[in-house]
Amino acid sequence: MGEVKKLRVRLTFPQELIKEPVLFRMAKKYDVMPNIRRARVTDTYGEMILELEGLEENLQEGINSLRQQGVIVELIEGDIIE
Amino acid sequence: MGYVTGLKCRECGRDYPIEPIYVCEFCFGPLEAVYDYKKIKKVLSRRVIERRPKTLWRYKELLPIDGEPQVGLSSGFTPLVKAENLARYIGVKELYIKDDTVAHPTLSFKDRVVAVALTKAKEFGFDTAACASTGNLAHAVSAHGAKAGFKRFIFIPASLEQSKIIASIVYEPNLIAVDGNYDDVNRLCSEIANKYRWAFVNINIRPFYAEGSKTMGFEIVEQLGWEAPDNIVVPCASGSLLTKIWKALKELREIGMLKEVETKIYGAQATGCSPISTAFKKGTDVIKPVKPNTVAKSLAIGNPADGYYALQAVKESGGAMEDVSDEEIVEAIKILAKTEGIFAETAGGVTLATYIKLLKEGKIDKKDSTVLCITGNGLKTSEVLNGRTTEIYYIKPNLASFEETLSRINKKEGR
Repeated sequence: MGEVKKLRVRLTFPQELIKEPVLFRMAKKYDVMPNIRRARVTDTYGEMILELEGLEENLQEGINSLRQQGVIVELIEGDIIE
Repeated sequence: MGYVTGLKCRECGRDYPIEPIYVCEFCFGPLEAVYDYKKIKKVLSRRVIERRPKTLWRYKELLPIDGEPQVGLSSGFTPLVKAENLARYIGVKELYIKDDTVAHPTLSFKDRVVAVALTKAKEFGFDTAACASTGNLAHAVSAHGAKAGFKRFIFIPASLEQSKIIASIVYEPNLIAVDGNYDDVNRLCSEIANKYRWAFVNINIRPFYAEGSKTMGFEIVEQLGWEAPDNIVVPCASGSLLTKIWKALKELREIGMLKEVETKIYGAQATGCSPISTAFKKGTDVIKPVKPNTVAKSLAIGNPADGYYALQAVKESGGAMEDVSDEEIVEAIKILAKTEGIFAETAGGVTLATYIKLLKEGKIDKKDSTVLCITGNGLKTSEVLNGRTTEIYYIKPNLASFEETLSRINKKEGR
Protein backbone atom coordinates (compact mmCIF):
# COMPACT_ATOMS: atom_id res chain seq x y z
CA MET A 1 0.00 0.00 0.00
CA GLY A 2 1.26 3.49 -0.86
CA GLU A 3 1.26 6.59 1.26
CA VAL A 4 -1.82 8.79 1.80
CA LYS A 5 -1.13 12.22 0.30
CA LYS A 6 -2.85 15.56 0.00
CA LEU A 7 -2.57 17.65 -3.12
CA ARG A 8 -3.84 21.21 -3.56
CA VAL A 9 -4.86 21.76 -7.15
CA ARG A 10 -6.70 24.07 -9.49
CA LEU A 11 -8.98 22.43 -12.03
CA THR A 12 -10.01 24.23 -15.19
CA PHE A 13 -13.02 22.67 -16.92
CA PRO A 14 -13.71 23.24 -20.62
CA GLN A 15 -17.17 24.46 -21.53
CA GLU A 16 -18.48 21.03 -22.55
CA LEU A 17 -17.68 19.53 -19.12
CA ILE A 18 -19.14 22.29 -16.95
CA LYS A 19 -22.47 20.41 -16.54
CA GLU A 20 -20.92 16.97 -16.01
CA PRO A 21 -20.25 15.48 -12.53
CA VAL A 22 -16.62 14.85 -13.54
CA LEU A 23 -15.14 15.33 -10.09
CA PHE A 24 -17.67 13.13 -8.29
CA ARG A 25 -17.12 10.27 -10.72
CA MET A 26 -13.34 10.50 -10.39
CA ALA A 27 -13.54 10.65 -6.58
CA LYS A 28 -15.73 7.56 -6.45
CA LYS A 29 -13.81 5.52 -8.96
CA TYR A 30 -10.35 6.17 -7.49
CA ASP A 31 -11.30 6.57 -3.82
CA VAL A 32 -10.02 10.14 -3.70
CA MET A 33 -11.52 12.64 -1.25
CA PRO A 34 -12.05 16.12 -2.73
CA ASN A 35 -12.30 19.10 -0.39
CA ILE A 36 -13.47 22.11 -2.42
CA ARG A 37 -12.37 25.56 -1.24
CA ARG A 38 -13.27 27.86 -4.09
CA ALA A 39 -15.02 27.67 -7.44
CA ARG A 40 -15.91 29.99 -10.25
CA VAL A 41 -17.96 29.25 -13.32
CA THR A 42 -18.39 31.47 -16.36
CA ASP A 43 -20.23 30.61 -19.57
CA THR A 44 -17.01 29.38 -21.16
CA TYR A 45 -14.87 27.90 -18.36
CA GLY A 46 -15.26 26.39 -14.94
CA GLU A 47 -12.53 26.75 -12.33
CA MET A 48 -12.24 24.95 -9.00
CA ILE A 49 -9.65 25.15 -6.25
CA LEU A 50 -9.55 22.16 -3.98
CA GLU A 51 -7.57 19.59 -2.02
CA LEU A 52 -7.46 15.97 -3.13
CA GLU A 53 -6.59 13.32 -0.57
CA GLY A 54 -5.89 9.66 -1.24
CA LEU A 55 -3.27 7.01 -1.79
CA GLU A 56 -0.51 8.36 -3.99
CA GLU A 57 -1.21 5.98 -6.87
CA ASN A 58 -4.95 6.66 -6.70
CA LEU A 59 -4.32 10.40 -6.77
CA GLN A 60 -2.14 10.02 -9.84
CA GLU A 61 -4.67 7.83 -11.63
CA GLY A 62 -7.51 10.16 -10.68
CA ILE A 63 -5.63 13.19 -11.98
CA ASN A 64 -4.74 11.33 -15.17
CA SER A 65 -8.38 10.47 -15.73
CA LEU A 66 -9.40 14.12 -15.27
CA ARG A 67 -6.74 15.17 -17.77
CA GLN A 68 -7.87 12.55 -20.26
CA GLN A 69 -11.36 14.01 -20.13
CA GLY A 70 -9.99 17.48 -20.93
CA VAL A 71 -9.78 18.99 -17.45
CA ILE A 72 -6.59 21.02 -16.88
CA VAL A 73 -5.04 20.03 -13.54
CA GLU A 74 -2.40 22.37 -12.10
CA LEU A 75 -0.89 23.14 -8.71
CA ILE A 76 -2.43 26.07 -6.84
CA GLU A 77 1.06 27.55 -6.53
CA GLY A 78 1.07 28.17 -10.27
CA ASP A 79 4.19 27.20 -12.20
CA ILE A 80 7.04 27.08 -9.73
CA ILE A 81 9.78 26.90 -12.35
CA GLU A 82 10.53 30.50 -13.27
CA MET B 1 10.99 47.36 13.54
CA GLY B 2 9.41 47.03 10.12
CA TYR B 3 6.15 48.36 8.82
CA VAL B 4 4.43 45.14 7.83
CA THR B 5 1.55 44.34 10.16
CA GLY B 6 0.88 40.85 8.82
CA LEU B 7 -0.19 38.81 5.84
CA LYS B 8 -3.66 38.86 4.30
CA CYS B 9 -5.42 36.46 1.96
CA ARG B 10 -6.04 38.14 -1.39
CA GLU B 11 -9.23 36.15 -1.85
CA CYS B 12 -11.08 35.94 1.47
CA GLY B 13 -9.24 38.65 3.42
CA ARG B 14 -8.28 36.47 6.40
CA ASP B 15 -5.33 37.77 8.41
CA TYR B 16 -2.18 35.79 9.14
CA PRO B 17 0.98 36.54 11.15
CA ILE B 18 4.33 37.32 9.52
CA GLU B 19 5.54 33.79 8.86
CA PRO B 20 7.02 31.84 5.95
CA ILE B 21 3.57 30.84 4.70
CA TYR B 22 2.03 31.59 1.34
CA VAL B 23 -1.45 30.22 1.09
CA CYS B 24 -4.69 30.77 3.02
CA GLU B 25 -5.62 27.64 4.97
CA PHE B 26 -9.29 28.24 4.25
CA CYS B 27 -9.66 29.20 0.61
CA PHE B 28 -6.13 28.42 -0.68
CA GLY B 29 -5.85 32.04 -1.86
CA PRO B 30 -2.40 33.66 -2.01
CA LEU B 31 -1.19 35.72 0.95
CA GLU B 32 0.10 39.27 0.62
CA ALA B 33 2.06 41.58 2.94
CA VAL B 34 0.02 44.35 4.60
CA TYR B 35 1.71 47.60 5.67
CA ASP B 36 0.94 50.34 8.16
CA TYR B 37 0.93 53.23 5.68
CA LYS B 38 0.10 55.84 8.33
CA LYS B 39 3.29 54.96 10.15
CA ILE B 40 5.30 54.90 6.92
CA LYS B 41 3.94 58.33 5.95
CA LYS B 42 5.35 59.77 9.17
CA VAL B 43 8.92 58.56 8.58
CA LEU B 44 9.31 58.47 4.80
CA SER B 45 9.56 61.45 2.50
CA ARG B 46 11.08 62.17 -0.91
CA ARG B 47 13.97 63.92 0.86
CA VAL B 48 14.69 60.96 3.13
CA ILE B 49 14.75 58.62 0.13
CA GLU B 50 16.89 60.92 -2.00
CA ARG B 51 19.61 61.07 0.67
CA ARG B 52 20.02 57.28 0.73
CA PRO B 53 22.37 55.11 -1.37
CA LYS B 54 21.15 54.40 -4.88
CA THR B 55 19.92 50.85 -4.33
CA LEU B 56 16.49 49.27 -4.05
CA TRP B 57 16.79 49.48 -0.27
CA ARG B 58 16.21 53.24 -0.32
CA TYR B 59 12.51 52.27 -0.15
CA LYS B 60 13.04 49.84 2.72
CA GLU B 61 10.01 51.02 4.73
CA LEU B 62 7.84 49.85 1.82
CA LEU B 63 9.49 46.43 1.75
CA PRO B 64 8.50 43.51 4.00
CA ILE B 65 11.51 43.32 6.29
CA ASP B 66 11.71 43.95 10.03
CA GLY B 67 15.37 44.88 10.47
CA GLU B 68 18.06 46.30 8.22
CA PRO B 69 18.66 44.98 4.67
CA GLN B 70 21.07 42.04 4.62
CA VAL B 71 21.18 40.78 1.04
CA GLY B 72 21.57 42.56 -2.31
CA LEU B 73 23.00 45.71 -0.83
CA SER B 74 24.02 46.92 -4.31
CA SER B 75 20.91 45.77 -6.17
CA GLY B 76 18.34 47.99 -7.81
CA PHE B 77 18.27 51.63 -8.88
CA THR B 78 19.03 50.73 -12.48
CA PRO B 79 19.06 53.48 -15.13
CA LEU B 80 15.88 55.00 -16.54
CA VAL B 81 17.07 55.83 -20.04
CA LYS B 82 15.32 58.48 -22.11
CA ALA B 83 15.05 56.57 -25.38
CA GLU B 84 15.17 59.42 -27.89
CA ASN B 85 16.56 57.37 -30.78
CA LEU B 86 14.01 54.62 -30.29
CA ALA B 87 11.22 57.21 -29.92
CA ARG B 88 12.23 58.75 -33.24
CA TYR B 89 12.50 55.32 -34.87
CA ILE B 90 8.95 54.34 -33.99
CA GLY B 91 7.49 57.84 -34.13
CA VAL B 92 6.48 58.59 -30.56
CA LYS B 93 7.05 61.63 -28.39
CA GLU B 94 8.31 60.50 -25.00
CA LEU B 95 9.73 57.07 -24.30
CA TYR B 96 11.86 55.63 -21.50
CA ILE B 97 13.58 52.31 -20.90
CA LYS B 98 13.71 51.05 -17.32
CA ASP B 99 16.94 49.18 -17.85
CA ASP B 100 17.25 46.09 -15.65
CA THR B 101 19.63 44.54 -18.19
CA VAL B 102 22.28 45.97 -15.86
CA ALA B 103 20.75 44.81 -12.56
CA HIS B 104 23.34 43.81 -9.97
CA PRO B 105 24.63 41.14 -9.64
CA THR B 106 23.02 38.81 -12.23
CA LEU B 107 21.64 41.18 -14.87
CA SER B 108 17.92 40.67 -14.47
CA PHE B 109 15.10 42.07 -12.32
CA LYS B 110 15.17 38.83 -10.33
CA ASP B 111 18.04 40.42 -8.39
CA ARG B 112 15.41 42.69 -6.83
CA VAL B 113 13.01 40.01 -5.66
CA VAL B 114 15.74 37.67 -4.44
CA ALA B 115 17.44 40.48 -2.46
CA VAL B 116 14.18 40.97 -0.56
CA ALA B 117 13.38 37.24 -0.28
CA LEU B 118 16.76 36.31 1.16
CA THR B 119 16.86 39.24 3.59
CA LYS B 120 13.51 37.98 4.87
CA ALA B 121 14.82 34.39 4.88
CA LYS B 122 17.67 35.54 7.15
CA GLU B 123 15.16 37.19 9.48
CA PHE B 124 13.19 33.94 9.63
CA GLY B 125 16.41 32.10 10.52
CA PHE B 126 16.65 29.92 7.40
CA ASP B 127 20.08 28.62 6.44
CA THR B 128 19.06 27.14 3.07
CA ALA B 129 17.65 28.94 0.04
CA ALA B 130 15.98 27.14 -2.86
CA CYS B 131 14.19 27.73 -6.13
CA ALA B 132 13.15 25.98 -9.32
CA SER B 133 14.26 27.85 -12.38
CA THR B 134 15.61 27.51 -15.88
CA GLY B 135 17.29 30.90 -15.91
CA ASN B 136 17.14 34.31 -14.27
CA LEU B 137 15.77 33.22 -10.90
CA ALA B 138 18.37 30.44 -10.61
CA HIS B 139 21.14 32.93 -11.37
CA ALA B 140 19.91 35.39 -8.74
CA VAL B 141 19.38 32.81 -5.97
CA SER B 142 22.77 31.20 -6.71
CA ALA B 143 24.65 34.52 -6.63
CA HIS B 144 22.84 36.40 -3.84
CA GLY B 145 22.74 33.20 -1.80
CA ALA B 146 26.50 32.70 -2.19
CA LYS B 147 27.28 36.20 -0.97
CA ALA B 148 24.82 35.91 1.92
CA GLY B 149 26.16 32.52 3.04
CA PHE B 150 23.11 30.34 2.34
CA LYS B 151 23.23 26.67 1.45
CA ARG B 152 21.52 26.63 -1.94
CA PHE B 153 19.40 24.11 -3.81
CA ILE B 154 18.47 24.93 -7.39
CA PHE B 155 16.05 22.59 -9.17
CA ILE B 156 15.99 22.31 -12.95
CA PRO B 157 14.45 19.89 -15.44
CA ALA B 158 17.23 17.46 -16.49
CA SER B 159 16.51 18.31 -20.15
CA LEU B 160 17.77 21.89 -19.71
CA GLU B 161 20.64 22.77 -22.08
CA GLN B 162 24.16 22.95 -20.62
CA SER B 163 24.57 26.57 -21.77
CA LYS B 164 21.70 27.63 -19.48
CA ILE B 165 23.31 26.02 -16.46
CA ILE B 166 26.73 27.71 -16.41
CA ALA B 167 25.47 31.07 -15.11
CA SER B 168 24.01 29.28 -12.08
CA ILE B 169 26.52 26.52 -11.37
CA VAL B 170 29.49 28.89 -11.39
CA TYR B 171 28.30 30.06 -7.94
CA GLU B 172 28.43 26.43 -6.77
CA PRO B 173 24.91 25.86 -5.48
CA ASN B 174 23.59 22.30 -5.26
CA LEU B 175 22.12 22.03 -8.72
CA ILE B 176 19.52 19.28 -8.81
CA ALA B 177 18.52 18.13 -12.29
CA VAL B 178 15.17 16.35 -12.07
CA ASP B 179 14.46 13.56 -14.54
CA GLY B 180 10.95 14.62 -15.47
CA ASN B 181 8.89 17.16 -17.37
CA TYR B 182 8.00 20.64 -16.10
CA ASP B 183 4.86 19.36 -14.36
CA ASP B 184 6.91 16.76 -12.47
CA VAL B 185 9.47 19.36 -11.36
CA ASN B 186 6.77 21.78 -10.23
CA ARG B 187 5.04 19.10 -8.21
CA LEU B 188 8.23 17.80 -6.62
CA CYS B 189 9.28 21.31 -5.59
CA SER B 190 5.91 22.01 -4.00
CA GLU B 191 6.32 18.79 -2.02
CA ILE B 192 9.87 19.65 -0.98
CA ALA B 193 8.89 23.20 0.02
CA ASN B 194 6.16 21.83 2.26
CA LYS B 195 8.41 19.20 3.85
CA TYR B 196 11.80 20.90 4.41
CA ARG B 197 12.43 24.02 6.45
CA TRP B 198 14.03 25.87 3.59
CA ALA B 199 13.47 29.32 2.13
CA PHE B 200 11.96 28.31 -1.19
CA VAL B 201 11.94 31.84 -2.55
CA ASN B 202 8.93 31.63 -4.84
CA ILE B 203 6.90 29.21 -2.72
CA ASN B 204 6.91 29.72 1.05
CA ILE B 205 8.74 33.08 0.82
CA ARG B 206 6.59 34.25 -2.10
CA PRO B 207 4.57 36.92 -0.24
CA PHE B 208 7.87 38.65 0.66
CA TYR B 209 9.79 37.80 -2.52
CA ALA B 210 7.13 39.28 -4.78
CA GLU B 211 7.17 42.62 -2.94
CA GLY B 212 10.71 43.23 -4.24
CA SER B 213 9.21 43.90 -7.67
CA LYS B 214 7.61 47.09 -6.35
CA THR B 215 11.02 48.73 -6.33
CA MET B 216 10.94 48.89 -10.13
CA GLY B 217 7.79 51.00 -9.86
CA PHE B 218 9.18 53.23 -7.09
CA GLU B 219 12.33 53.87 -9.10
CA ILE B 220 10.42 54.77 -12.28
CA VAL B 221 8.46 57.42 -10.39
CA GLU B 222 11.49 58.82 -8.56
CA GLN B 223 13.62 58.89 -11.71
CA LEU B 224 10.87 60.82 -13.52
CA GLY B 225 11.10 63.50 -10.84
CA TRP B 226 8.39 61.98 -8.65
CA GLU B 227 5.88 61.76 -11.44
CA ALA B 228 4.13 58.72 -12.81
CA PRO B 229 4.25 58.23 -16.60
CA ASP B 230 1.11 57.96 -18.74
CA ASN B 231 1.85 54.29 -19.51
CA ILE B 232 4.05 51.47 -18.27
CA VAL B 233 4.51 48.34 -20.40
CA VAL B 234 5.44 45.28 -18.34
CA PRO B 235 6.31 41.76 -19.50
CA CYS B 236 4.19 39.04 -17.88
CA ALA B 237 5.32 35.57 -16.84
CA SER B 238 3.64 34.79 -13.49
CA GLY B 239 2.05 38.26 -13.64
CA SER B 240 3.65 39.23 -10.34
CA LEU B 241 5.86 42.07 -11.64
CA LEU B 242 2.94 43.83 -13.29
CA THR B 243 0.76 43.44 -10.21
CA LYS B 244 3.48 44.84 -7.96
CA ILE B 245 4.32 47.82 -10.17
CA TRP B 246 0.67 48.79 -9.99
CA LYS B 247 0.77 48.28 -6.21
CA ALA B 248 3.90 50.48 -6.01
CA LEU B 249 2.13 53.39 -7.71
CA LYS B 250 -0.87 53.08 -5.43
CA GLU B 251 1.35 52.92 -2.35
CA LEU B 252 3.16 56.12 -3.38
CA ARG B 253 -0.23 57.80 -3.65
CA GLU B 254 -1.27 56.34 -0.28
CA ILE B 255 1.73 57.86 1.50
CA GLY B 256 1.40 61.17 -0.33
CA MET B 257 4.37 60.95 -2.66
CA LEU B 258 2.16 60.95 -5.76
CA LYS B 259 -0.91 63.14 -6.03
CA GLU B 260 -2.75 61.08 -8.58
CA VAL B 261 -2.19 57.75 -10.29
CA GLU B 262 -3.45 58.00 -13.84
CA THR B 263 -0.90 55.60 -15.28
CA LYS B 264 -2.22 52.86 -17.53
CA ILE B 265 -0.52 49.50 -17.11
CA TYR B 266 -0.03 47.34 -20.21
CA GLY B 267 0.88 43.66 -20.05
CA ALA B 268 3.13 42.04 -22.66
CA GLN B 269 3.29 38.33 -23.48
CA ALA B 270 4.65 36.07 -26.19
CA THR B 271 1.85 34.59 -28.31
CA GLY B 272 3.37 31.15 -27.66
CA CYS B 273 2.62 31.57 -23.96
CA SER B 274 -0.14 34.11 -23.53
CA PRO B 275 -2.67 32.85 -20.97
CA ILE B 276 -3.16 36.30 -19.41
CA SER B 277 -3.33 38.21 -22.68
CA THR B 278 -5.77 35.62 -24.06
CA ALA B 279 -8.06 36.02 -21.04
CA PHE B 280 -7.94 39.81 -21.44
CA LYS B 281 -8.81 39.66 -25.12
CA LYS B 282 -11.60 37.15 -24.53
CA GLY B 283 -12.99 39.30 -21.74
CA THR B 284 -12.93 36.49 -19.17
CA ASP B 285 -11.50 36.40 -15.65
CA VAL B 286 -10.49 32.74 -15.83
CA ILE B 287 -6.88 32.23 -16.86
CA LYS B 288 -6.72 29.00 -18.85
CA PRO B 289 -3.29 27.34 -18.40
CA VAL B 290 -1.32 26.65 -21.60
CA LYS B 291 1.74 24.66 -22.66
CA PRO B 292 4.39 27.26 -23.54
CA ASN B 293 6.01 27.33 -26.97
CA THR B 294 8.02 30.50 -27.44
CA VAL B 295 11.60 31.77 -27.70
CA ALA B 296 10.88 33.97 -24.68
CA LYS B 297 11.77 31.25 -22.16
CA SER B 298 11.93 33.62 -19.19
CA LEU B 299 8.23 34.39 -19.75
CA ALA B 300 7.21 30.79 -20.45
CA ILE B 301 4.90 30.29 -17.48
CA GLY B 302 1.82 28.46 -18.71
CA ASN B 303 0.04 28.49 -15.35
CA PRO B 304 0.72 31.97 -13.97
CA ALA B 305 0.24 32.25 -10.19
CA ASP B 306 -0.68 35.95 -10.37
CA GLY B 307 -2.36 35.93 -13.76
CA TYR B 308 -5.77 36.81 -12.36
CA TYR B 309 -4.38 39.70 -10.31
CA ALA B 310 -2.32 41.02 -13.23
CA LEU B 311 -5.49 41.01 -15.32
CA GLN B 312 -7.34 42.98 -12.63
CA ALA B 313 -4.47 45.52 -12.38
CA VAL B 314 -4.48 46.07 -16.14
CA LYS B 315 -8.25 46.58 -16.16
CA GLU B 316 -8.29 48.80 -13.07
CA SER B 317 -5.65 51.07 -14.60
CA GLY B 318 -7.44 51.29 -17.95
CA GLY B 319 -4.57 49.57 -19.80
CA ALA B 320 -4.59 46.52 -22.06
CA MET B 321 -2.78 43.25 -22.80
CA GLU B 322 -1.27 42.13 -26.05
CA ASP B 323 0.98 39.32 -27.27
CA VAL B 324 3.56 39.06 -30.04
CA SER B 325 5.14 36.39 -32.26
CA ASP B 326 8.69 35.06 -31.95
CA GLU B 327 9.63 36.96 -35.12
CA GLU B 328 8.36 40.23 -33.66
CA ILE B 329 10.29 39.51 -30.43
CA VAL B 330 13.61 38.98 -32.22
CA GLU B 331 13.05 42.03 -34.43
CA ALA B 332 12.34 44.17 -31.35
CA ILE B 333 15.54 42.98 -29.60
CA LYS B 334 17.46 44.18 -32.66
CA ILE B 335 15.63 47.51 -32.82
CA LEU B 336 16.36 48.24 -29.15
CA ALA B 337 20.02 47.33 -29.59
CA LYS B 338 20.61 49.41 -32.73
CA THR B 339 18.74 52.49 -31.53
CA GLU B 340 19.53 52.66 -27.81
CA GLY B 341 22.57 50.42 -27.43
CA ILE B 342 20.71 48.19 -25.01
CA PHE B 343 20.86 44.42 -25.51
CA ALA B 344 17.80 42.89 -23.92
CA GLU B 345 16.90 39.25 -23.45
CA THR B 346 13.83 37.87 -25.19
CA ALA B 347 11.48 39.26 -22.53
CA GLY B 348 12.69 42.75 -23.49
CA GLY B 349 11.85 41.96 -27.09
CA VAL B 350 8.36 40.96 -25.96
CA THR B 351 7.90 44.28 -24.15
CA LEU B 352 9.05 46.50 -27.01
CA ALA B 353 7.23 44.48 -29.70
CA THR B 354 4.03 44.61 -27.64
CA TYR B 355 4.38 48.38 -27.25
CA ILE B 356 4.77 48.78 -31.02
CA LYS B 357 1.70 46.57 -31.58
CA LEU B 358 -0.36 48.52 -29.05
CA LEU B 359 0.61 51.78 -30.79
CA LYS B 360 -0.49 50.36 -34.15
CA GLU B 361 -3.78 49.23 -32.64
CA GLY B 362 -4.30 52.73 -31.25
CA LYS B 363 -4.41 51.42 -27.68
CA ILE B 364 -1.47 53.62 -26.68
CA ASP B 365 -1.30 57.26 -27.77
CA LYS B 366 1.88 58.35 -29.58
CA LYS B 367 1.87 61.61 -27.62
CA ASP B 368 1.89 59.86 -24.22
CA SER B 369 4.92 59.32 -22.02
CA THR B 370 5.64 55.59 -21.81
CA VAL B 371 8.08 53.50 -19.79
CA LEU B 372 9.09 50.08 -21.10
CA CYS B 373 10.26 47.63 -18.41
CA ILE B 374 13.26 45.80 -19.84
CA THR B 375 13.88 43.05 -17.34
CA GLY B 376 16.96 41.07 -18.38
CA ASN B 377 20.21 41.09 -20.31
CA GLY B 378 20.49 39.84 -23.90
CA LEU B 379 23.70 37.93 -23.22
CA LYS B 380 21.51 35.40 -21.40
CA THR B 381 19.53 34.51 -24.51
CA SER B 382 21.91 35.46 -27.32
CA GLU B 383 21.27 32.15 -29.14
CA VAL B 384 17.93 33.47 -30.45
CA LEU B 385 19.87 35.84 -32.69
CA ASN B 386 21.93 33.10 -34.35
CA GLY B 387 21.55 33.56 -38.09
CA ARG B 388 19.35 36.62 -37.57
CA THR B 389 21.97 39.36 -37.28
CA THR B 390 23.58 41.56 -39.93
CA GLU B 391 26.44 40.05 -41.90
CA ILE B 392 30.07 39.91 -40.79
CA TYR B 393 32.64 41.27 -43.25
CA TYR B 394 35.53 38.82 -43.64
CA ILE B 395 38.69 40.35 -45.13
CA LYS B 396 42.30 39.45 -45.88
CA PRO B 397 44.95 41.03 -43.60
CA ASN B 398 45.81 43.82 -46.05
CA LEU B 399 44.64 47.36 -46.75
CA ALA B 400 43.36 46.58 -50.25
CA SER B 401 41.00 43.94 -48.95
CA PHE B 402 39.77 46.30 -46.22
CA GLU B 403 39.22 49.17 -48.65
CA GLU B 404 37.35 46.98 -51.06
CA THR B 405 34.99 46.00 -48.24
CA LEU B 406 34.76 49.58 -47.01
CA SER B 407 33.59 50.75 -50.41
CA ARG B 408 31.00 47.95 -50.40
CA ILE B 409 29.79 49.13 -46.96
CA ASN B 410 29.66 52.78 -48.05
CA LYS B 411 27.69 51.83 -51.15
CA LYS B 412 25.25 49.80 -49.06
CA GLU B 413 24.77 52.67 -46.66
CA GLY B 414 24.33 55.14 -49.52
CA ARG B 415 27.52 57.15 -48.91
